Amino acid sequence: MSEIAHQDHTEKKAFLVNTSSLKEVRIFCREVFEKLHIQEDLKDELVLAIAEAAQNIVKHAFKNSASPTELMVVQISCENNKLQIAFYDRGTPVDPKKVKHREIDNIKPGGLGTFFIQEIMDAVEFKDGKKPWINHLVLTKQL
Amino acid sequence: MTYKVEVINNISIVHLNGEIDMDVADKARQTILPLIENGKSVQINLSKVDYMDSSGISVLIEGKQLAEKKSTKFELVEVSKPVEKVLSMARKFL
Repeated sequence: MSEIAHQDHTEKKAFLVNTSSLKEVRIFCREVFEKLHIQEDLKDELVLAIAEAAQNIVKHAFKNSASPTELMVVQISCENNKLQIAFYDRGTPVDPKKVKHREIDNIKPGGLGTFFIQEIMDAVEFKDGKKPWINHLVLTKQL
Repeated sequence: MTYKVEVINNISIVHLNGEIDMDVADKARQTILPLIENGKSVQINLSKVDYMDSSGISVLIEGKQLAEKKSTKFELVEVSKPVEKVLSMARKFL
């Protein structure tokens, strides 16, 4: 847990659902975390977790075939030193029971992204997406 | 991501440069795997990689597994700090 009191702050941004947007997602996160004065090492981890979640939207919720105008929204909020990152998309509804990383002895590429998210964040929660959204993922971390 | 391949003492050295994410992982895969497929010893120089996510790690795992299958050498060299950090997290998983 950080000893720094981080100011309350919320920002959100919409991105096209495609692999080219992943870099933009990372840039957006880094900019917000700069404003929040989040320590460099933690910032790198948080950017990775967020980028992996965004990647999962492109890869799984839309199976790499979203329409060219389809959007996902990333919202970063900090309140009372608790960081909350929300993702909204209109892809295939996610079944939280099916979202898991591979077994530890099953060494194959893939599934690592979910593992990284779970390692880095304190909590990963799938909520009901309110219209127009279908999926609403919330990642939280106590700073 | 950009890359350069050089051959020194019969070892193909792939120098990766930039950020390796899902958007460019296939490009990295198509650069690395054919070298191993052709029986070359391969070194991946990661000194200039400043970001790598699970897609990039997957390419490295595929390379390692293919090299084992082909009985060739596959090594990571000059691993940058950001990549080392992600690899150390991945090692818990692997």
